[in-house]
Amino acid sequence: MKRNMSKLFSLIFGILAVALPFFAGDYPLQVGRNIMMYMALAITWDMLLRSGQVSFGIAGLFGLGAYASILGVIHGGMPSWVSIVFAAIFAGLVAFIIGFLILRLRAMYFSIVTLALGEIFRIIVQNLHEFTGGPEGIVMQGVIFGGNANRLYWLTLAGLGIALGGSYWFENSKVHFALTAIRNNEISAQSSGVNIFRWLLLAFVVTSAIQGLLGGIFVQSYGFATPDTVFTTDFMLLPIAMALLGGIYSTTGPIFGALLLGIVSEWLKLKIPYGHLVVYGIMIIIVILFMPRGLRQLLRQGLKTTNGRSA
Amino acid sequence: MVVKRSKAILAAILIAVSILLIVWKPTVLIYGLQAAALYAAIAIPMGLVLGIVHIVNLAHGEFMMLAAYTAYNACKAFGIDPLLAIVPTAVVTAIFGWVIFQLTIRRALKAPELNQLILTFGLAIAFTQTINLIFTSQTYKIPLDYVSASMTIGDLTFGIWSFVFVPVAIIFAYGLQYFLTKTITGKAALAVGQNPRGAAIVGIDVYRTYGLVFAIATALVGAMGALFLTKSAIFPIVGSPFTMKSFCLIAMAGIGNIPGILGASVLLGVAENFLRAFRGTRDWAEIVFFVLIIIVILGRSLKGRKS
Amino acid sequence: MKLATKNLTKRFLGLVAVNNVSFSMEEGEILGIIGPNGAGKTTFINLVSGIIMPSDGKIEFKGKDITSMPAHERARLGIARTYQLIHPLENLTLIQNIMVGSIFARGHNLKEARKRAEELCSELGLQNVERDTSHLTILEIKKMEIARALANEPEVLFLDELMAGLNADETKELIAMVQKLAKERKVAIGVVEHVMGVIRELTHRVIVMEAGEIIAEGKYEDVSKDPRVIEAYLGGAA
Repeated sequence: MKRNMSKLFSLIFGILAVALPFFAGDYPLQVGRNIMMYMALAITWDMLLRSGQVSFGIAGLFGLGAYASILGVIHGGMPSWVSIVFAAIFAGLVAFIIGFLILRLRAMYFSIVTLALGEIFRIIVQNLHEFTGGPEGIVMQGVIFGGNANRLYWLTLAGLGIALGGSYWFENSKVHFALTAIRNNEISAQSSGVNIFRWLLLAFVVTSAIQGLLGGIFVQSYGFATPDTVFTTDFMLLPIAMALLGGIYSTTGPIFGALLLGIVSEWLKLKIPYGHLVVYGIMIIIVILFMPRGLRQLLRQGLKTTNGRSA
Repeated sequence: MVVKRSKAILAAILIAVSILLIVWKPTVLIYGLQAAALYAAIAIPMGLVLGIVHIVNLAHGEFMMLAAYTAYNACKAFGIDPLLAIVPTAVVTAIFGWVIFQLTIRRALKAPELNQLILTFGLAIAFTQTINLIFTSQTYKIPLDYVSASMTIGDLTFGIWSFVFVPVAIIFAYGLQYFLTKTITGKAALAVGQNPRGAAIVGIDVYRTYGLVFAIATALVGAMGALFLTKSAIFPIVGSPFTMKSFCLIAMAGIGNIPGILGASVLLGVAENFLRAFRGTRDWAEIVFFVLIIIVILGRSLKGRKS
Repeated sequence: MKLATKNLTKRFLGLVAVNNVSFSMEEGEILGIIGPNGAGKTTFINLVSGIIMPSDGKIEFKGKDITSMPAHERARLGIARTYQLIHPLENLTLIQNIMVGSIFARGHNLKEARKRAEELCSELGLQNVERDTSHLTILEIKKMEIARALANEPEVLFLDELMAGLNADETKELIAMVQKLAKERKVAIGVVEHVMGVIRELTHRVIVMEAGEIIAEGKYEDVSKDPRVIEAYLGGAA
């Protein structure tokens, strides 16, 4: 019964999301695109978190994908579509190499390396300025779909769809068992035949590829890339805050968190030009200390007490 | 014996490289050592916390940044030199650090490492963005005469103020070693670091020790903040490269090996400045620490598989 | 000869935890591994199951050298073990905990793994399998741990102090189950225990470890009378 209810909800929601361009103007669509981008990134962050590894490298892989895509178009003559796919493959490949090198040591080593990724990629991009346009960035001839707001929206929605699909796959297949076992008790997992390194590498590569894909979509939608706009703290911080607030280790948590915080973010940006991100920092602290499973956990506990049955 | 031989070979290589640098590009060695000392002095307190409280403080660099801003404002308000502000800044930062520890980090000590990483990350963001909010991203600097002091040897002129970090780093390293091995409080802290339960059983107040160690580390990093202010401009994210480089040094030296950080820092400092010496590679200096971390991780994981 | 070690040694810095241990196990045999605390029994199991790597010596499984094989591959070959301190996977239900071995050690798909896990549960008498693992009784936790190991469909199984904390009836139930395993499925079983009654009833053969070495081997009746064994348990000249 509960399953069918939530499936119905998802369907209605999905239809609304797809139909939005038909009754909303350009500005709401833009906000919608931003929220969907963050939502998708939040979902990918959570996907890796389910294995017990915290990545701070979302912005790094996202930016890498963005540059791969725009450079693919400018230097490689790729059509926009192809460049987005290329961005995903490139990001996945880079993640494979890095993951292969460092995933045998985990937790803090992995997290700090990912923290450095954004900076490292940014420096590399800035240094290769003949190829990448350096600190001033690089501009494409035109924007995908000629900048048609509706189509851009649907493109981003497609990206979100891929992230959702990935998360669904992670939750309803062997991957769920592998990642959860690794997260809960690595030694027991090994004794049950789980090749920890292989599964972590898979999770890292898949989530990075999706992040790269999103970077490609982003850059194709705006037509330009600079180190400052694609390797920003925004893309690293907001997805984490959203996933935490909504409820980690789930698909619905990041969705919920993104909707909530996405709208708040738009409002905050107008009110506080400098340092509005402080809200997210404080939010992360409060959530991790006092409700580590996010609002979703609070909601479930609320349902438990009203129903009298376990959720 | 094998150990002595590898140490001798290492020493020989070091001496050879040093001589080579002195003859060919002496500024690399000079500025490398200065940078090394700065990195080491900041990394050592982080190593102390990691070794005893077993927590990676991703906000470590931000504590230094906060201290630097505090020192800046104190200097501007009272018209004093940053050097005079070192002790008061250290004290203020230590108190602040202790409070933050009690309010936040202490609660996460029993939680999985995941939570601790996210928590200190949140702290780093909160600190950075609060400063951004209050002071915007503008850079601030205090112009001081003695900072441009220089020395000339032959036809080589170089700045010498930054050598001040060298004695600081050495004092931090060996001072802490002395504290941990020769004083009662320090030995208790070491015990807590090695075996918290055992330490509790013999009557050591574990949480009080954690708070004390954290305060000491924050005091040291606070002192560095004021000292850092003398020669560098400050801005909200000035601290984050130091967090990552500190971790790099700790990883290279091995957790718990505080004097080892000195050696590791020389490698990092000299390597960075080596790249800076040439036009073609100048922009790649900031990647060195990343490469070093990867090498360390690779080395550890290969060693782990063998044993 | 299912499993054998030759001169197996493990050093931790200064301490030699396992010293030159050579032994073998046959299919269908229940081997007792006893010895005072700190004798190296659990370290030995960790070495054989692959959780840690030896400093010296060889491990062979059905004639194949598996000394440098990682733990998860050994699980796939057919080696399984239970843990003394049982930490269930807390974000999976009881039956999901059991399914893990079936999926990853045996390579079954989710449906098949589920079926086999359900069979294991009914064999062991575990009910209400959709529960989460936070409120299980000791007996249920132990049964779940055995089931988890059995999901690997192992040919060699080590039980590390499984009977600890169980009352007489529960112990009897598990003893019968272990005997059935050895007889029907021909699993070679190594049992680490401190409860001598269990060892006496359950095992065909016993090895005694002390300070990392095997000091005696044979049937329980003989070994329990060996003066070296008695001294190991009671300590040296007082």
